Amino acid sequence: MRNFKFKRSLTLVTVSSLLSLTVVSIPTVARAADPACQTANFVTQCAGTTSDSAPYLMLVPANFNGTVYLYSHGYRNNVPLPASLAAITGFPTTVVNAAEPVPGGSAAIYGPLLAKGYAVMGSGFSRQGWNADDAIKTNVELIGVFKKQFTKTKKVVAWGNSLGGFITQALAEKYPDLISAAAPMCMASDLPPLMTMAGDALWGIKTFFDPTIKGGSYSAGAAGYAEAMGDLGKVFTAIGAMQALIAADPSATKWPATSKVPDAIKAIPSRSALVLVALVSGIPMQSAHFDSTTAPPGGTPTEKLGGQLAIYPSLAALENLATAAALGVLATHDIEQQAGGAVFDNTATDYAARVSAEQFVWSSALSGATATGALLSVLAASPRAKADPAAVAKLKTLASHSGKVEIPTILFTGVADPITIAGNQQSVADKYAAYYAEKWAAAKKEGIRVRPQNNQLVLWNLTPEKYTKFTATGAPDTSGPAATGTNHCNFTTSQYLAIADLLAYAAENGKNMSGGALLTKLRKAKNMTYDRGYSAPKMKYYGE
Amino acid sequence: MIGKTRRKRTWFVAAVLATGSLLATALPANAETGVTSSEIKLGITLPLTGAASAGYNKIGNAMNAYFKYVNDNGGVYGRKINLIQKNDEYSPQLAIAKTNELILKDKVFALVGPLGTATYTAVHKSVGIARRGVPSLFLNTGFSGFANKKNFPTSFTVLPSYAMEAKIVSQFIKENLAGKKLGLVYQNDEFGIDALGAFKAAGVKFDVTIPYTSGTQSPATAQTWVSQLAAGGAQVVVFFGVTSATGALLGVAAAAKYAPQWILGSVGSDPLTLRVLGVPTAVLNGAYTLAGNPSPNDTTDEYVKQFQEINTKYNAGTAFDDYVLQGMNLGLMTVQALRAAGQNLTRKKLISAMETKGSTFASVAYSPLGYSKTSNVGHTGYYMAVMDATGDRKPFGGSVVLYTTDSGSGPVVKSTFKRPAMPAKGLPTNS
Repeated sequence: MRNFKFKRSLTLVTVSSLLSLTVVSIPTVARAADPACQTANFVTQCAGTTSDSAPYLMLVPANFNGTVYLYSHGYRNNVPLPASLAAITGFPTTVVNAAEPVPGGSAAIYGPLLAKGYAVMGSGFSRQGWNADDAIKTNVELIGVFKKQFTKTKKVVAWGNSLGGFITQALAEKYPDLISAAAPMCMASDLPPLMTMAGDALWGIKTFFDPTIKGGSYSAGAAGYAEAMGDLGKVFTAIGAMQALIAADPSATKWPATSKVPDAIKAIPSRSALVLVALVSGIPMQSAHFDSTTAPPGGTPTEKLGGQLAIYPSLAALENLATAAALGVLATHDIEQQAGGAVFDNTATDYAARVSAEQFVWSSALSGATATGALLSVLAASPRAKADPAAVAKLKTLASHSGKVEIPTILFTGVADPITIAGNQQSVADKYAAYYAEKWAAAKKEGIRVRPQNNQLVLWNLTPEKYTKFTATGAPDTSGPAATGTNHCNFTTSQYLAIADLLAYAAENGKNMSGGALLTKLRKAKNMTYDRGYSAPKMKYYGE
Repeated sequence: MIGKTRRKRTWFVAAVLATGSLLATALPANAETGVTSSEIKLGITLPLTGAASAGYNKIGNAMNAYFKYVNDNGGVYGRKINLIQKNDEYSPQLAIAKTNELILKDKVFALVGPLGTATYTAVHKSVGIARRGVPSLFLNTGFSGFANKKNFPTSFTVLPSYAMEAKIVSQFIKENLAGKKLGLVYQNDEFGIDALGAFKAAGVKFDVTIPYTSGTQSPATAQTWVSQLAAGGAQVVVFFGVTSATGALLGVAAAAKYAPQWILGSVGSDPLTLRVLGVPTAVLNGAYTLAGNPSPNDTTDEYVKQFQEINTKYNAGTAFDDYVLQGMNLGLMTVQALRAAGQNLTRKKLISAMETKGSTFASVAYSPLGYSKTSNVGHTGYYMAVMDATGDRKPFGGSVVLYTTDSGSGPVVKSTFKRPAMPAKGLPTNS
């Protein structure tokens, strides 16, 4: 899955350049299971395609120590995007199948690993979009190809981001005989909750800001593609309009021209509707540049408190929705095409119940209880989206997580990731905790007094307490990098390398690192927290 | 050589035995988070800066002053209390971060007196107070939603709820102001909604009802409130909001010579905060308010007298007011809770002590404490008071008539509860 901005696609281009600079060029096409390899600068680079035509890339150092990292990349668009939409969304205009052997193809990541004697590899997968079931098979085949090519291979460790994190967790659950350790990072959830989140966000934007947005139920073929692209444009037009309105006067109650909510509702600041959309869909209230804690400069103490509690949370919601919306449209279109019909259904959703606690917490941002009630009444009264039962049934046959792992796994995510929310990781952690409890209970029944090994290490990337910055004129400054713990899969090279070290340790020792060694490792990498007591909020659509 | 070794070993064993026996007679070994043989670490989050901090920023220091007094007098079973204050600026997101810091980094044993409804709602959910088993004593909020032991099994309220408050005001209106045209201004969130529901249940109908969103209060908005109240002919105006809104409302009303009988909720009637906000306390003259504690100026009260003495010595330079009184009292209740949990202090034992012995704790407030195995509710009642131009208050009718009730459909009754005496020298000896 991609960030709203261009960063990641630019990174891919840069890495490709780096590879060609450091390694001799090789044929880009090879027969299945028959990689083309060339060695330069003590690194053997092998490229090829698996039997499903998925391109892969392997980098193996001369001093290969027997352990290889298998990386699974995140969601990529499975349809080309018009240049205008690509510019807005940050997705490339074309469908990219290029292999990605480490996160972002970063030389800063594969360099240190190769230097230590580890090999890295990754597939680009045969199709883009939601491809978990195919990608799992591709990865299994790729492991076989690698082992055949490099017979010194002793251990395979898997890692992946976002959709790749989902794939990695599935590999750990299903193929403990093939991999020794796994690190699903900023992991996507199973499809039903993922599509609920995307569906709720799009339906909320449609309901409050532009009823001509389809938000799903796209037609088949070219017509559906056109509808989805149309939706992308409309969603970003609505978000852009909201941004302009808030920037012009955050206290004003103006609504975008495309909004068709009743006039009585338009007496409520439209930014409160934006906050409600974020809350019902589970999107966090801290974003790349808005911490929802910092008071704006200037003004009276009461005005500052008003900004802190009422205005700036809406900017966090706006920034996060802008990051998540593109993926919401693209994934909805993609999944519907695969499932053969609409998969989002909110006919029975009680949005008031979903935000029963959150509306107290964000009361000021929601403009008070009466306004919140009025906004919720709009959601209650608006036409709902109905799914196609056959499509939903098909969705449920696709890969999902049981949480049951028998090999060491390391989970890591940002607590304010707006796309793969932290609750996803919590959901898998909770499933494993339940599984572990079952195992322990069964062991005790058999008279075993030694606890089973805990195979799951859950790490969090926390946000700083305060990070919103302001320009000299007092306007919010969004020019800096996204704060740690925010944005999608927003990890530093140090954090990736720490995860890689933890994977190597786990593969070598058959268990996760713990105690002082773990804490020291995390401290050095910065902003990585291990806390058994921490629990990210899960939305009610996880069954809470 | 052998002999030397033997002597060393004998000495070592003797030393270990001696140390062991010392520990056994002094303090037991304790592996609980935030508790050592010499210290109990506690934490509190509250607004120390910003618009919402006026008055509230004195509570933590007052608690600390009381704890220092207790520490200087032997501590709690020999352990000194170390209270760590964190500034959440009244921001829910910041409260989450600060509470995480208290629990993860500072490793406090328990939270005491966390302040604010929105902040604590966010903290309880996101930090996982109950799941972690962290005791959270004496929540400084009157939101009745926290009085749900199933959802908040490790949290204990201390203030009567806003719903109780509204029920008592309803009773007071029926008994003393029947037939008057009524107005209501309330903060349009869980604070005001809690009260609104209780007024409705009590059958009190307002002729003018004005909700306001927290953070929007200002002289300009207060002008619209006053216009609506005056136009509606409200003769009695009940106000459920924060003191900054009280200041705006009463200030504008005084300038407009609009003088209904004001009934101010317990939250919004603090004269000190009014002064900080630049509003003359004279606007409070004649207003009715609800109070749970004696006036901080009532030196005939044994609690007030003792706390004033402690404040003079351990909180020098700080004016003794309702906030200081409340902070000191939270300290007093905390010490009793810690003592009741016993020398082998654990989080589970503290929670159990609150459930089994909490209702017997000494407290400055006149109303009984409702703690039990099935209730996490603290104080349960108020008396009505009349304010003067200095902001001081006297019981309505000349003597305290305490009303007690619950947050549900229970009746409002005049209570005969007798408050426990202040422990000698303000130092609890309970167990």
